[in-house]
Amino acid sequence: MTTADLLLVALGAVAVGAGVLVVSTRHIVRAGLWLVVNLLAVAGCYLVLAAELVAWVQVLLYVGAVVVLLLFAVMLTRAPIGASDDLDRPRWPGALIGGGAGLGLAALFVSGYRWSRVDLPSPGTATALGEQIFTAWVLPFEVVGVLLLAALIGAIVVSRPDIGSR
Amino acid sequence: MDDKLTQFGQDVWWLVLAKVLLVFVFLVLMTLFAIWYERRVVARMQVRPGPNRVGPAGLLQSLADGLKLAFKEDIMPKMADKAVFFIAPVISTTCAFTAFAVIPFGPTVSVFGEKTPIQLTDVPVAVLLVLACSSMGIYGIVLGGWASGSTYPLLGGLRSSAQMISYEVAMGLSIVAVFMTAGTMSTSQIVDAQKDTQTLTLGGFDLTVPGWYAFLLIPSFLIYAIAAVGETNRAPFDLPEAESELVGGFHTEYSSLKFALFFLAEYINMVTVSGLATTLFLGGWRAPWPISLWDGANQGWWPLLWFTIKVLLLLFVFVWLRGTLPRLRYDQFMRFGWKVLIPLSLLWILTLAGIRVVQGSDLTVQARLAVVGGPILVALAIWMFWPDKRKAIEDPGVHGVDAAGRIGGTEGFPVPPLNLEVPVSPRAQRVLGERETVSTSKES
Amino acid sequence: MTTDIAAETLKLPSLDYAALAPMLILFGVGCVGVLVEAIAPKKARFPVQLVLAVLGIAASLTAIVLAAGTEKVTAAGAVAVDGPGLFLQGSIAVLGLVALLLISERSLERGGAFVAQAAVTANSEADRDQATRGSGATEVYPLIIFSLGGMMLFAAANDLLTMFVALEVFSLPLYLLCAMARRRRLLSQEAALKYFLLGAFASAFFLFGIALVYGYAGRVDFAGIHAAVLDSPNDIALLYIGLAMVAIGLLFKAALAPFHVWTPDVYQGAPTPVTALMAACTKVAAFGGLLRVLYVAFERSQWDYRPVLGAIAVLTMLVGAVLAVTQTDIKRLLAYSSIANAGYVLVGVLAISKAGLASSLFYLVAYGFSVLAAFGIVTLVRDADGEATHLSRWAGLGRRSPLYATLFTFLLLAFAGIPLTSGFTAKFGVFAAAIEADQTWLVIAGVITSAIIAFPYLRVVVMMWLSEPGESTPAVSLPGALTAAAVTIGAAATLLLGIVPQPLLDMTENAAHFVR
Repeated sequence: MTTADLLLVALGAVAVGAGVLVVSTRHIVRAGLWLVVNLLAVAGCYLVLAAELVAWVQVLLYVGAVVVLLLFAVMLTRAPIGASDDLDRPRWPGALIGGGAGLGLAALFVSGYRWSRVDLPSPGTATALGEQIFTAWVLPFEVVGVLLLAALIGAIVVSRPDIGSR
Repeated sequence: MDDKLTQFGQDVWWLVLAKVLLVFVFLVLMTLFAIWYERRVVARMQVRPGPNRVGPAGLLQSLADGLKLAFKEDIMPKMADKAVFFIAPVISTTCAFTAFAVIPFGPTVSVFGEKTPIQLTDVPVAVLLVLACSSMGIYGIVLGGWASGSTYPLLGGLRSSAQMISYEVAMGLSIVAVFMTAGTMSTSQIVDAQKDTQTLTLGGFDLTVPGWYAFLLIPSFLIYAIAAVGETNRAPFDLPEAESELVGGFHTEYSSLKFALFFLAEYINMVTVSGLATTLFLGGWRAPWPISLWDGANQGWWPLLWFTIKVLLLLFVFVWLRGTLPRLRYDQFMRFGWKVLIPLSLLWILTLAGIRVVQGSDLTVQARLAVVGGPILVALAIWMFWPDKRKAIEDPGVHGVDAAGRIGGTEGFPVPPLNLEVPVSPRAQRVLGERETVSTSKES
Repeated sequence: MTTDIAAETLKLPSLDYAALAPMLILFGVGCVGVLVEAIAPKKARFPVQLVLAVLGIAASLTAIVLAAGTEKVTAAGAVAVDGPGLFLQGSIAVLGLVALLLISERSLERGGAFVAQAAVTANSEADRDQATRGSGATEVYPLIIFSLGGMMLFAAANDLLTMFVALEVFSLPLYLLCAMARRRRLLSQEAALKYFLLGAFASAFFLFGIALVYGYAGRVDFAGIHAAVLDSPNDIALLYIGLAMVAIGLLFKAALAPFHVWTPDVYQGAPTPVTALMAACTKVAAFGGLLRVLYVAFERSQWDYRPVLGAIAVLTMLVGAVLAVTQTDIKRLLAYSSIANAGYVLVGVLAISKAGLASSLFYLVAYGFSVLAAFGIVTLVRDADGEATHLSRWAGLGRRSPLYATLFTFLLLAFAGIPLTSGFTAKFGVFAAAIEADQTWLVIAGVITSAIIAFPYLRVVVMMWLSEPGESTPAVSLPGALTAAAVTIGAAATLLLGIVPQPLLDMTENAAHFVR
């Protein structure tokens, strides 16, 4: 085991632990914070795997914008300090299904790869990523733009109460 | 491209420690100095002396304040979420410090026989790291506001998160132009890319301009400068802590060292965005023009001085703005960010990309001008001849007052109607608009 | 400057614009539609948008016709232009055009079937006010165009990532459109939320499946997966579970049991024209994707997935048929009927043969036309509170308006698969293909469920013709030109494909060859 392996395992453990806490905590804002920890741990995994750009973009967008907006929405509606009892549901069925699926997939990966070595590809630099996006994946990439536009229009249509009234 | 970055990450351990210490000390000193500087400059603008008791010219005033703050009682509000309340200022400060790790202070120097650049580290995506840190810093403010368990801080926190996210978009977009021109996202290489002077040929004249992106990419620089003020919650965009509306904003409930940490984070953020502006737009640690004629200007430890001077000049602008401009209204501020800054940035990026494509092609000068100027002319023509939707305003017969009861056009001041009739409120007008039977004369 | 060097080394992949034109036109028209929303004055928006959308789809259809016969993979392997792809795109365009007519109908209800402000609290005064008076949102046109473009890309996607992007592009506008019914806002909002959450869940499955398949094959393009199936040194379990998860995502969109639970609620809550769009076009797109995945990428593991998908087909037909019997709402009834029909298409798909492919394509088109006409008639049967969808309200409709009752009876008979309707030809085709491929058990299940599902159809027929019209029997509104056109086209196609199916059969026969 190299340092990178150890780091990867540790970050993975953090990610899984934080993920469990996201769904099990009864503090709604803290659930969001655990989500931040989880996303940071995943970003750490990307860093270890030499995908620098993806890692920082993950921090910038998911941690820095998406979850902030989530918390923003939670705080605008209601953000009680302390535990909310209505977040407490009978958890066992969900925990069983979630845990079972997670363990099953873990077992699948273990049986699929066991100790086979996979060499790290060349580092995920901005240049490499840009070349990939604008050569091999140019059409899906452009269509994602259309998707975001549709989402934007849709969000405005669904949520704005002051458009198109008369 | 990446081979230039190999000089980073090779340092011996004590050198890394020394650099960390350098960054830390630099930032703390800059904070202490900036607080004094700000108070003195604002005081000068307001024709009063400012702090002048502690130390020479009051220089030690902020140190004294800091010490005093540390000995104050640390109050934990009863309604607070203890853990988050505690951790929020820590997040703020940590992120602020971390961002400075990739700002280059100077060129490679020799320290006790070790050759090393005066920069903690650099990575191929360094600027993204700065942006990521500043976006993580939002958590400190949002959580601080929320965890206080009180209304004003919550509102301040909400305002600040909306504000920082909005202005981060504009800031990120303004930097894109720099990436496009420099072809890299690493800070040290961006400084390198601004080293050469550029020769522009405009209508037969050769103009020599410094390679600073502040000149080459003026729109980007302006947008960055505005967004930076919004991003750091500074006046005139200091809505999260608008004292006339929100007491102290997100840090109303904070006291003692925790408050000091927020304060520290705010000033470090100012230094960081100034440092980043210096790096991205003002040639970084390289000496400005007359000094750069001297061969030794860009070698050894001198660049540290040029860098600091540039940062201080930018800090002066921050203070200047605060001393000059009144605070914006919240909705105006958000509208400005989303409807002016972001579209402008996008348009500018598009234009720049177009220019670069034209530059890369083998067109004649006339054709280039046509390609660049054509769309601009078309856009201008559309804008000029676009039908004006505003209805012509009837003259109510009173000099200077229009039909809407305003003086000086639609943007002017509303004045009371001359017959003293109470007008229907705009809201009621909207609601009752279709029935059209409302008479207001009874109310008069 | 350094980027110049990069710009020189960056070579765009060859894009065959003629082959991509159908999708590109639609995406472009969608963007123009957004601009129209921003610029055009409020009164002009509806006609401008309608004309723009119709022209856009027509242009796209023209591009498809012009591209007929092309067989190639373009855009760096992201899109495959071939017979089935073009046929499916063409059907999406035609069915979408007919659905667009229903969507644009504004004479039945002031301002059309869509509400202007979806965010107004349901059942509040403002909500009731806008239900009766407000004009409708015209943003639905760009959304529908984006959705149709996404469907076309989905049917032509040649790798799993492009497929995923296309899946999202066509799903997201549909989630939104579901929330915008003018009447019964709560039901509509619930439908949208349910569809969105379950759809996001299905997308997650799809994505995870892609990851697993990639883990097995090391590729996401279909040719690469095809080459890797059975040959890759990796654990085959990765492939199986990956395929299962990808299939779940696709089966969800095609509304196959047990991933059908959203269908009745969403079909009921969504504005009826949107329901028609979903029942016709989404089904075509979803099966298009499923066909390509099963036939192109995973053909070599057909012996593994066939029994499982066969069981799903049987289950789907059973669930659709049996639960249709218990329904009391016409939209829910049609929803279960659409589930059962999806099962029949799957029978054709599982033949894994040229005949199976051709018969599935035929079935999708035939069913699409019938279901559009059926939902078109549902929009007509209305009272003061909007559409009267409860079955009891349809009692005696035959006396009140014999023309529409006749048409609806005819369509129900087509769903049941009575000869001389397109339903018979289509069912015959898929069953014949399945028998040819030794999947007799599927055909037996299909015939039995056909008999079961004929019962609810006949019950509606009996109710319309043999009951006396009661107090609550609503009148059938006089349709506007657009709805009339849509219903006529749908019913005429149902009749024509039942009497002279040969031209379309030939077309599907000629088209039934995937390029890899």
